[in-house]
Amino acid sequence: MKTTYMRSCFKLMFGLLAVLGSLSANAALEIFACEPEWAALSKELGGDKISVYAATTAKQDPHRIEARPSLIARTRAADLLVCSGSELEVGWLPVLLQTSGNEKVQVGKPGYFMASDFVRKLELPTAVDRAHGDVHPYGNPHIQLDPRNIARVAKPLSERLAQLDPSSAAYYQSRYKDFESRWAKAIAEWEQRAAPLKGLRLVPYHKDSVYLIDWLGMVEVMNIEPKPGIPPSAGHLTDLLSKLQQQPADVIVYSAYQDPKAAEWLGERTKLPVVMLPYTVGGTPEAKDLYSLFDDSINRLLKAKK
Amino acid sequence: MFKQIALAVAIVLAMALPAVVWAQTSPQLEEIRKQIQELKDSYDARIQALEKQLKDAEAASAKAQAAAIEAQSAATQAKQTAESGQAPPPAQPTSSNAFNPALSLILQGGYYNSSQNPNTRSITGFLPPGELGLPERGFYLGETEITLSANVDHLFYGQATLSIDHGNIDAEEAFFQTTSLGHGLTGKGGRFFSGIGYENSQHQHNWDFVDDALVQQSFLGPNLTVDGLQVSWIAPTPLYLELGAEAGKPVEFPFPVTEHNANGIQIATVFARLGGDIGVSNSYLVGAWALQAKNSTDDQPVGFLDGLTGVSNIANGGNTKLWGLDFVYKWAPEGDRVDRNFKLIAEWMHRSFDSTLTYAPGTPGTQIGDFTANQSGWFVQGIYQFEPAWRVGLRYGQLDEGSYDLAAGLVGAPGLAPADFTPRRISAMVDWSPSEFSRFRLQFNQDKSQIGITDNQVYLQYILSLGTHGAHKF
Repeated sequence: MKTTYMRSCFKLMFGLLAVLGSLSANAALEIFACEPEWAALSKELGGDKISVYAATTAKQDPHRIEARPSLIARTRAADLLVCSGSELEVGWLPVLLQTSGNEKVQVGKPGYFMASDFVRKLELPTAVDRAHGDVHPYGNPHIQLDPRNIARVAKPLSERLAQLDPSSAAYYQSRYKDFESRWAKAIAEWEQRAAPLKGLRLVPYHKDSVYLIDWLGMVEVMNIEPKPGIPPSAGHLTDLLSKLQQQPADVIVYSAYQDPKAAEWLGERTKLPVVMLPYTVGGTPEAKDLYSLFDDSINRLLKAKK
Repeated sequence: MFKQIALAVAIVLAMALPAVVWAQTSPQLEEIRKQIQELKDSYDARIQALEKQLKDAEAASAKAQAAAIEAQSAATQAKQTAESGQAPPPAQPTSSNAFNPALSLILQGGYYNSSQNPNTRSITGFLPPGELGLPERGFYLGETEITLSANVDHLFYGQATLSIDHGNIDAEEAFFQTTSLGHGLTGKGGRFFSGIGYENSQHQHNWDFVDDALVQQSFLGPNLTVDGLQVSWIAPTPLYLELGAEAGKPVEFPFPVTEHNANGIQIATVFARLGGDIGVSNSYLVGAWALQAKNSTDDQPVGFLDGLTGVSNIANGGNTKLWGLDFVYKWAPEGDRVDRNFKLIAEWMHRSFDSTLTYAPGTPGTQIGDFTANQSGWFVQGIYQFEPAWRVGLRYGQLDEGSYDLAAGLVGAPGLAPADFTPRRISAMVDWSPSEFSRFRLQFNQDKSQIGITDNQVYLQYILSLGTHGAHKF
């Protein structure tokens, strides 16, 4: 009787040890991606050598995430953080870094990768003052909607994977080469298909599609938000309505994580088409990965233009 | 440049000439002197004219240069707008100010209206008048907070929060924290808000109501602060598990202001938290904690009993033990809290205060004996953001005066028994936050924490945050 009790105790202990061991001895590189687009890019480049956790979904405003306990636990386990940077995550990432007790992902360590450090940013403010709303002093951080930026980030990200996991460096290198050529081909196709969008005049909700607009030669007429990060009031919407009569626009757009009410209200009154853009991977049922993110964004705009 | 040198040579020559001609003693001396003087005068005039020309030219060239720079930057900007994909990366800061810590400033204040005089208010059996943290009636300036923070070096992060209140500047928190221990470990040293409970480590400007819950104010109020060390560890599991402990000296604790002039550890705490998500829309955090603090060995007034008995009492030594449970639940549709979200917070805590009590010192009824008070309290609050800038909240809290264990000598001393009264307060608030950096709040309290009295309180409050974008805990 006693021995069976002892034996089951031992079994339990070994079982626990095995579980703990499997948690810590997991060979795959643990990646904490702040946004879905970087989770998708990491998967493209890391394949089955990495395990990716996406901290946010396309339905969540990346500016306004809570530093939830689950995110702290995931930061604790990460070998590499892949985020947009440029203060997009300023309201939550510092808390994760400070409380996680993970030295590998602190600022300046190889485990800290900010994608926007590797691209040329638009809308660098000449004056930084909160009277202009929640401006980003280091430029617009929503860089992922220009596929050329994805390519610019892919190279250093692939190199970072190889630096953190040298035994698989050749694997990462070959995956990068493969991705690079497929991506360049895709960009050429998108640019051809999106040619009719050139000069299209957009009214986005927030300044989060400027890179898409810049890439495809479209025009941002104005934003629905009165200032970045400030929700529009009824009075402001009425103002917008009269402004839109003087400054004609073609399409009103909003991102998957934004409340469509204001955009729809304006659309009804201006008779302009209102388009929801996926913004990132998972924003629409069609935008399943990086490729379909751009396919779908272009499709939706082309459809609205007709 | 060449012109200037020529000018200088001419000047030197002009000065030297009189010396050369001095040797001549002929009658033409006067004439020569005159000629030289004329020469000198004319040179002076020319020099002055040239100097003026030079200055004018310099000014003009500076103007031209400025115009050129302006034109160039305009051209650059135009180019940036034209082919904005080609904008250069931001210039790296080169001044020594680049290492300045992040700076933020919190402005708070408002208007307070109450049906009772705040100076005479107390919590029966818990806090004497003056310890409730009530503002003056009418317009008032709340605590102004300045926070500076930065990484110290590759090993440490440092932060100081200074509060300016009623003419005093206090180090509310001033600590350093490790960043490089790894393995989920973080060490902290200095003065910091204790990690126990939920509300305790929140700064005033983060509270969901103007004031803190009755039990928090009464047992720990407003924030139990420790001068000492803290260690915390996050488990390597997908489920969030945190274990922590602190040791040091409490600042103004336990009653009401205590001097801790003694060697060794005056307070020790332990805490544990467990948290996670349920689906994408729900998340939670539950915690449990305990602390033990030494009471001052010196004679120490026991305000919480004075309020009950109406006579002054003195405690000597002993310990204060507290333990508590806390629970936070948050909901946001699809995990996006911008448009709508809800949070529910509840805390319960228990306090056991034991000491040697001198009952009514200096009066004929003086008694001395051991004494233990077992008291508890709890609150629950819900905050609902129903549209982007607007939130409403409701809170209920009460205290349980519990039981007193008295030594034989104290039994029967008038007033040294629970008053059979449960202090309670209900609060309702609505706040408006036009941006992430400003908040305006209207709050109503019905405060029945003092026996025989109902205090209706109305607050109008503003909280403004300037400077560095704050990052807040869950």
